[in-house]
Amino acid sequence: MAETKSRSKRLMTMGGLIFLAIGIILYFVKEPMGLNRKIYDLPVFLIIIGACSALKGYMAKEKTEEEAALAGKTFSEFLTNNAILLAMLVLVVVICILQPRFMQIRVALDILTQSSTKLIMALGICFTLLIAGTDLSAGRMVGLSAVVSASMMQTATYANRFFPDLPQVAVWMPIVIAILACMVFGALNGFLVAKYDMHPFIATLAVQVIIYGACSLYFDMPPNNSQPIGGIRPDFAQLGQMRLFNGVYRGFPGISILIPIAVVICIVIWFILNKTVFGKNVYAIGGNREAAVVAGINVFRNIMGIFILASCLYGVAGVLEAARTAGATNNYGNGYELDAIAACVVGGVSLNGGIGKVGGIIMGVLIFTIIQYGLQFINVSPMWQQVIKGVIIAVAVAIDLTKYRRK
Amino acid sequence: MRKIFVTALIIALTLSSCAFADVKIGSCIYRFSDAFMLRFRNAMTAESVNEKAEIIIADSLNDQNTQDAQVDDFINSGVNVLIINPVDRMQSQSIIDKAKSANIPVVFINREPTAEMLATYDRAYYVGAKPEESGTEAGELIANYFKSHPEADKNKDGKIQFVMLRGENGHQDMIARSKYSVEAIKDAGFEPVEIAGAIANWDKLQAMTIMNAFIMSLGAENIEAVIANNDEMALGAVEALKANDYNKGNAEMYIPVVGVDANASALDAMDRGEMLGTVLNDADGQGTAAVKLAVALANGKDVSGQVVDGKYIWVPYQKVTRGEK
Amino acid sequence: MSEYLLEMKNITKTFPGVKALDNVNLNVRKGTVHALMGENGAGKSTLMKCLFGIYEPDGGEIYLEGQKASIHSARQAMDKGIAMVHQELHPIRFRSVMENVYLGRFPGHMGVVDHKAMYDKTKALFDELELDVDPLALAGEQSAAILQMMEIARAVDMKAKIIILDEPTSSLSDREVDHLFKIINRLRSQGVAFVYISHKMKEILEISDEITVMRDGTYVGTWPVSNEKGEKLTIDFIIKQMVGREMTNQFPAREGKPSDEVVLKVENVCSTAKKSFQNVSFELHRQEILGIGGLVGAQRTEFVEALFGLRGIASGEILLNGARYSAKSPGFAKSKGLALLTEERRATGIFGILPILENTVIANQRNYAHLGILNDSKRRVDADAECKKLNVKTPSLNTLIQNLSGGNQQKVLIARWLLTNSDILILDEPTRGIDVGAKYEIYNIMLEQIAQGKSIIMISSEMPELMGMSDRIMVMCEGRVTGFLNKGEYTQEKVMALATQFAGRKDNTAA
Repeated sequence: MAETKSRSKRLMTMGGLIFLAIGIILYFVKEPMGLNRKIYDLPVFLIIIGACSALKGYMAKEKTEEEAALAGKTFSEFLTNNAILLAMLVLVVVICILQPRFMQIRVALDILTQSSTKLIMALGICFTLLIAGTDLSAGRMVGLSAVVSASMMQTATYANRFFPDLPQVAVWMPIVIAILACMVFGALNGFLVAKYDMHPFIATLAVQVIIYGACSLYFDMPPNNSQPIGGIRPDFAQLGQMRLFNGVYRGFPGISILIPIAVVICIVIWFILNKTVFGKNVYAIGGNREAAVVAGINVFRNIMGIFILASCLYGVAGVLEAARTAGATNNYGNGYELDAIAACVVGGVSLNGGIGKVGGIIMGVLIFTIIQYGLQFINVSPMWQQVIKGVIIAVAVAIDLTKYRRK
Repeated sequence: MRKIFVTALIIALTLSSCAFADVKIGSCIYRFSDAFMLRFRNAMTAESVNEKAEIIIADSLNDQNTQDAQVDDFINSGVNVLIINPVDRMQSQSIIDKAKSANIPVVFINREPTAEMLATYDRAYYVGAKPEESGTEAGELIANYFKSHPEADKNKDGKIQFVMLRGENGHQDMIARSKYSVEAIKDAGFEPVEIAGAIANWDKLQAMTIMNAFIMSLGAENIEAVIANNDEMALGAVEALKANDYNKGNAEMYIPVVGVDANASALDAMDRGEMLGTVLNDADGQGTAAVKLAVALANGKDVSGQVVDGKYIWVPYQKVTRGEK
Repeated sequence: MSEYLLEMKNITKTFPGVKALDNVNLNVRKGTVHALMGENGAGKSTLMKCLFGIYEPDGGEIYLEGQKASIHSARQAMDKGIAMVHQELHPIRFRSVMENVYLGRFPGHMGVVDHKAMYDKTKALFDELELDVDPLALAGEQSAAILQMMEIARAVDMKAKIIILDEPTSSLSDREVDHLFKIINRLRSQGVAFVYISHKMKEILEISDEITVMRDGTYVGTWPVSNEKGEKLTIDFIIKQMVGREMTNQFPAREGKPSDEVVLKVENVCSTAKKSFQNVSFELHRQEILGIGGLVGAQRTEFVEALFGLRGIASGEILLNGARYSAKSPGFAKSKGLALLTEERRATGIFGILPILENTVIANQRNYAHLGILNDSKRRVDADAECKKLNVKTPSLNTLIQNLSGGNQQKVLIARWLLTNSDILILDEPTRGIDVGAKYEIYNIMLEQIAQGKSIIMISSEMPELMGMSDRIMVMCEGRVTGFLNKGEYTQEKVMALATQFAGRKDNTAA
């Protein structure tokens, strides 16, 4: 046992170092050898991957006997548990061969940027999944928040202002208003689920329709009359478009502000889930609602909290979407909830409730974005993209359920 | 009861000009809150002042029955001519029949009755725009740009490598605009090459995501033009370009983007030099033409010179480029 | 040809930590009603589940009409002519009675159901059983009695040779019981054998031909109800067989006595549900273990759950340390110093997919939190200390609780409530389904708590435990308190007599 332990550690460290070495060599020879247009930033990726895995192998703590036993899974189990991840890696390699431009730092950063708002949504929806529920109103909340915030953030000179007489208010005000609007509907979700014991599927479906109607009414108010909202103030658009460290290094495109925002929210949600009474209660209610009641947990209050917190995150995502695209229509966010749920499931969140980690959700969102982005990258027809997306969801849920049954 | 209501509505919403005009026009708009029809209405009112005609415009509240009742009221109150924007173009026959029995001419606007319907009455006409023309104009915008800016052909191969962002799959405008914009580029003597194209469902966000992927996979330096089926998608492409430092004022890093609609955001982007141009569905021109035709008909003039196929006036779309707000 | 229709020989079944059946025999003759008796947990249901293919016995053989039979599923059991009418019936509520009768074997061809044939057959069956029910009526609208008859009709139609009736009369009125017995008598005369599980002595003496008694998973014996001279068995005799075991020293010594101080006073408390507990009154003293005895259906669990705020209380008064207490919610009960260890460990106790740590501290999170943020190390230290104190055997606190044995799970749950430092511990079947060693440890924990000045209410269906641990026993029957027994004066027979006080019907048989 001890031998395999140290062997796997050694393997990881060695493999990492080899990657690192190849990366460094390639980095210096690619220009003289004219490989620049063939491998792009591949050396940098190799260096990063190699350094990470070498470090991980080196730092890996001694495993306890139990953990070692758990880790000692069979090869086929490893394959099924990581099927989606492996499929993604294969796809990435195929894309890199078909279109070497995929191996660019800016592509990686772009994928992270696009993942950011999706991740924020997925983190919101995971709370509702953790209590074996769901939230179908999430996408429409994104739309509501985008429209509300954008409507108050137009430049004074724009021809078709939503509120022609509105002064140039401070940026935080419309943001807070938009998020509060979402939280009102989140509270409605929570109330229906907690008070009347409605299944979240039907409660949030009802609220989804209500939100879309309300948002469309707002959007249709004269003088806007359902025109797409544009003329967004640059200071607001910066929230979604600003790039940090732009050009510090030759050709470095900069890191979108969305990435650090998503990272901060990830940390906050991780903290809530793991370090607060509320987070523990979420897992408990999802794990065994009856037992949670007996343990004296106020299920009503916690479910309300779950839906309100989730809607707050959707609100943030909506504001960021509006800022990123410098505009909004009532159609924003349509269908996002399904993508977010799918990403959560791929990331190991159990639809039976009680199981799910922030790390898994990050993985799920990244896998989903990479696959989607990659398919778009090699210009796969949108119809095929849909088919592939559906297959991924089905396979992921099947794996989730077999895992569950094995226990 | 309903009739009283409708009558009251007409009176309340009447925009009357000269009280002693010879020509009295009755007009129905399918829904007043439609922004495009608002421009249409303003143009009609202005033109009837020019023509010294009286015009009464009613809001059909997006209900065909209401509109039919309004047409009856107009005929009873003795208008000389009708200008109708049908709620449901397939139900225009009843309006044609009413006009025919009262023997007054009728001009349809914006929503086109079928040719069979128009054929049932020799004094029924249609004023509107041809959808394929919006595509042609957009293509011409690109072609004109390449003529005046030879450096836009970045790889100097004489061809235009463009990206096409399409609207909803199967939509008639999407089909017409995609097809005729390419035709127009060909007609202008360039060879169009669609290096990438995708359906972005008229949506800014989707267009932005897709355009971003194209920039990454093709390289922005290899894209010479972006043609979008509407302004929202064009603006999405603009945001994606801006995120990659294109179209931000540096002439070296510019890709012409065209859309259709001439909505406020597009005009705004054009003022900032982020977008090349858009195509306007000319509400003013159509409104003016409709009133001119109606007045001529009411005065019993021969209009055969103005109309094509004996029934139609096609008002062209208009190109809108920078500085021509 | 054997003289028996069914022979179960030396059936043995072990669950993790518990020997549920140990060499049990059951021999049933053709055309008889065979009563199977024993206390709760004696193994009757387990034995029947082995017969019905739901459990696979570890040892022993089953013979049907002299032929060795192997039964691996309920389907196979039914094919071999064994039918079971469960205590709790779950019909498909929104389908008709006839569809329920023919569920899974609809008459018809090639997947097309012949509704006419189904109707006629059901009608004929019901006529035979003198059941006046429209086959087209919705199953969900029928009374429990009708549903039971429906199940029996289904068994008859499937040409069942043996019909198992599990507590068939628990929710029937006297008239309905008469009807049931009439049907049983008729089928018996046609050669059908019944295995009849019930606690109701008088009924058993009335309807059955033979009685087999089980105790603690073992076979006690089989007796004919009337001997050749026509003398019937007495209820006392049966009770003695059911409970009569030697009392060994399975309980730790109790030191000290309950104080006179009353911590909980319950007066005339009635449930909001009509069929549940009514007019419950008692006093609980500090440092007292009050045992609550009774049979299944005595509403003991329902009562303590109501006390903890999980069920509604319609009337009555509860005084906690002299102050009025209204059981609003479990959270409130917890804040007032009550703790409830529930009967169904899996359903309402453990969070199976969560680690032991979370399971231990879940009821006590507030004490580790400042502004909602948890102090992780404090949680871990406390959970570790408590689990060590209670001797929970686990590799680490991060192990999922579902991987522990029942006894260790129970200890974790007790640790959970000890952490809340409650004054009154309500333990509902605290040692159900756990092995002897763990039981002894739990008894020790209870006594320790008493020594620290706490009070305990313990529901137990295990007679020795009830008598061995309680300072006083309150017996309930059908939702009412039928009596109190003080330490020293209780015998198993007395408890059983109180527990079955209303359980008999009209006193028409010799007692």
